Amino acid sequence: MDWLSDTWAAYQSTLGFAAVNAVLALSTYAVLSAGVLSFASVSYAAFGGFLGAQVMLHAGIGPLLALPAAILAGGVLSFLVALIFLRLEGHWMALASLALVLITRVVVLNAPALTGGVNGLSIPVELPIGVLILLLLLLMLIFQRLAVSWYGIAARAVREDPAVAASLGMSPRRVQMIAFLISGAVGGAGGVLLAVMLQFLSPDTYFVNIAFTMIASVVLGGSYHWAGAVAGAAVFTALPVIAQAVVPAMQDVANGVALLLIMIFLPRGLIDPRAWRRRRAARRRNA
Amino acid sequence: MELFAEQVLNGCALGALYALFAIGFGLVFATLGILNAAHGTYASWAAIAALAATERLGLPFPLAVLAGVVAGGLLALFVDQVAFQPLRARGAGMLAALITSIAFWIILDSLAGFATGQQSLSFPQGSYPARMYHLGTMPLPAMQLLTIAAMLVATFGIHLLVRRSRFGAAMRAVGWNGAAAALGGVNPRMVVLATAFLAGATSGLAGVLAGISTQNVSFSLGEGLLLKGFAAVVVGGYDDVRGAAIAGVALGIAEVITAQYLSTSLRDGITYALLLGFLLVRPRGLFGRAGFVRA
Amino acid sequence: MRICWRMAAALLIGGAAMPAAHADGLAAGDYRIGFVTENTGPIAFAGLSYYHGAQLAAEEITASGRLGAGVKLTLADKESGSDPARAIQDMHQFIADRSILATSCCILSAVAGSLKPIVLGAGMPLVIFGATAPGLPKPPVVYSMTILPGPKDVATAQHAVEVMHPKTAAYFVSADNDAFKARMAAGQHAVEAAGVKTVGVVSVLSSDTDFTAPATQAIGYAPDMILVYTTQTPAEGIIAALRARGYAKTIVGNDVLSPATVFKKMGATVADVPFPISFSAALAATPEAKAFVAAYTKKFDAPPDIYSAQGYQVVQFIAQGLHVLSGKPTRESLGAALAQIKSVEPNVYGGEPMVDGQAETKDTVIVAWTKDGAIAPWPSGK
Repeated sequence: MDWLSDTWAAYQSTLGFAAVNAVLALSTYAVLSAGVLSFASVSYAAFGGFLGAQVMLHAGIGPLLALPAAILAGGVLSFLVALIFLRLEGHWMALASLALVLITRVVVLNAPALTGGVNGLSIPVELPIGVLILLLLLLMLIFQRLAVSWYGIAARAVREDPAVAASLGMSPRRVQMIAFLISGAVGGAGGVLLAVMLQFLSPDTYFVNIAFTMIASVVLGGSYHWAGAVAGAAVFTALPVIAQAVVPAMQDVANGVALLLIMIFLPRGLIDPRAWRRRRAARRRNA
Repeated sequence: MELFAEQVLNGCALGALYALFAIGFGLVFATLGILNAAHGTYASWAAIAALAATERLGLPFPLAVLAGVVAGGLLALFVDQVAFQPLRARGAGMLAALITSIAFWIILDSLAGFATGQQSLSFPQGSYPARMYHLGTMPLPAMQLLTIAAMLVATFGIHLLVRRSRFGAAMRAVGWNGAAAALGGVNPRMVVLATAFLAGATSGLAGVLAGISTQNVSFSLGEGLLLKGFAAVVVGGYDDVRGAAIAGVALGIAEVITAQYLSTSLRDGITYALLLGFLLVRPRGLFGRAGFVRA
Repeated sequence: MRICWRMAAALLIGGAAMPAAHADGLAAGDYRIGFVTENTGPIAFAGLSYYHGAQLAAEEITASGRLGAGVKLTLADKESGSDPARAIQDMHQFIADRSILATSCCILSAVAGSLKPIVLGAGMPLVIFGATAPGLPKPPVVYSMTILPGPKDVATAQHAVEVMHPKTAAYFVSADNDAFKARMAAGQHAVEAAGVKTVGVVSVLSSDTDFTAPATQAIGYAPDMILVYTTQTPAEGIIAALRARGYAKTIVGNDVLSPATVFKKMGATVADVPFPISFSAALAATPEAKAFVAAYTKKFDAPPDIYSAQGYQVVQFIAQGLHVLSGKPTRESLGAALAQIKSVEPNVYGGEPMVDGQAETKDTVIVAWTKDGAIAPWPSGK
């Protein structure tokens, strides 16, 4: 029994970070599933995270009550971002969103009233890992419902071919606007959950590293199904821990090599609905 | 007034580094369609290679620079063949390549840390031109003049290569549509290899020159260049080297002048806000033309 | 000569061990310290030094038998790359490992800020090296062996003003680093209090690649003195650029200029730039310090710097806490024992009092590199 409780104690924070990364990855997946590669989730997370932290610190309420404020903050920001970004085209939108990530850090540094500026912000608030997992499960349920809804079908159509989608009466712009709003709300939530996991926010918390964590999680897990974001976040969070345990001297290199190999052999990610369909079709043929 | 002129020259030299880096970054993005997160490490490793050539092999300055540039090119070739070629062969999109480039970024940064003993190294004094010329009373450091000259030569050379030569036509064809280019008699494999090498070499040159003039040879060198070079690509447009070059220099000058006359703490903020604003007004870069958009 | 000092040090350590009240002493066995390393990432150059200092101390203590027969002190290290998320996971693994009695970590405030609530909740003793954010120590759990640079910066700035009599001063600051922003504010306050006018403040950022323009800007203010409060790489770049552009007046540095690697890289450019130093291999005066320098140089083939000295003292401090305990100590009993320590022994500073969980050193030594690479008191005439 000791062994079990010790293992849980040792790796509970890894599980927690995996869950938070999954939420953030779902934010990136939300726009990617409508054909938009955007790193702006970092900015939603930053806004939601810092605002949620301030709400917790000043109103003295728990993280669950700060969550709606963060979701709202992320949603509002994503609406503004979408107004600007949806005028741009594919590649440029990705570049612009990366520029937005860089701007985010400058803003965080220069808005000490909200962010604590260069000194950072200490948030002595805790959230049990179990609650975090429950929140993630709830979010997964929402994404599952979305995927089979009219919106989910429209998003897939817009991603595959906007022209065809438009000719079927789906406005790509409208679908992508909804995608941005979902991404913003989820990103804001992810931001405040990350704040609670770290209990300390600094100007470097929401920056390039987290942007790459999000996109790597989504693509690693498979960008054609919401479950890919969750699976990818789990693997991407666990890989460094495993690398540390197996080859401590070269852990970063090992981590990179593992990432490289997974991507080369499974370029569509760990969870690939197309492969499932093919396997099912093959079974039917054989039967 | 002299201070202003000095700062403009400083901005030009700084911007020339951004420009050189941006040219390489943009070439890969335009021709190979890859947003390459590992690109900054080419600059770091080129600087490390040039330093090793100076210290270990005792090569003179021009050869050491050449060694760094070739190292940057070869590294880019290697990364392309290991991280991108298998994906290209399977027809996987830009997303998977972004992740393999992140993987190489992690690997090469980590190895660069080991290679420099986690220290920031510098080129020994006397191993590079350190003379200070003067125009009246205004100081003109030799390395700044050299950096600007290198940027001009590289920009015009690559621009001519891309726009005027048969190879350039092939590059543009591959960038536009690889399969169609192959049907048209272009060997895409060779074009890809040459583009990767050229991009790595150009950014490698930026790395070597930056390593010398900032006295910092370490993995952090490439990261700094990556963020600013990236900004130059966004403003200048990735399908024209002149755009990236002009945008890089403009960014350098804007940065220096903002810091001097407005506010140092907002320097990067102003730079990036200009960048976003520019994207909205001219979303295809300085020399961008309207592309084909399907109805 | 070297052997002599070692014997002297061993005698001293032995002498300190004598009055131990616990005849039974610690039970034989392996006593492990969880060490969150920063041996890769942006500040690995300092992280490696802290770690090496700690490693040496653990080996010396084990070999000396100071804690009793069969008592081994070992470091269990886990890398964080200065990433708070990785450091948190490392710390949870340490806390879950029942063989770990105490932990040590943190150069960056963000990492320290994330780990502090965790160890406070778990009652795991944590000895911080490097991080300077105010209010970190919290006995009996959190202690800091960081030699706070603030007072030393102030003393250096005041001394430089007394010696050079400047009328105006300009400042460089790492604007995205909390520690250096606070250090510059303290230094500037002291200099202004001495009647020196501030003519300009130049900010640089951690990812900056160019220091020529900031140097030009500072020279444009025409100050009699320039004070540099930035991290190591920018400080080197700034001083080199200032000198290259012909600035010949006084530049005041800070303790980041003290490692030997700085002179190796910059050569005579960095000569005559005063900076405060808490520990220097070249100026080691006490037998403990000399023994430390000799052993460190032998083991790592490089002289120890201010960071390795602090890492060394982290493990000495924990050993000192263990030393008064007997039988099988717990995290709680070790934390309580550490709280009783009024002065860290042995130490390489010639005196290291502990005040409310924070290590301090007595006086500030102001030094500069000479043209041939030695560290000498500044100004050189004195």
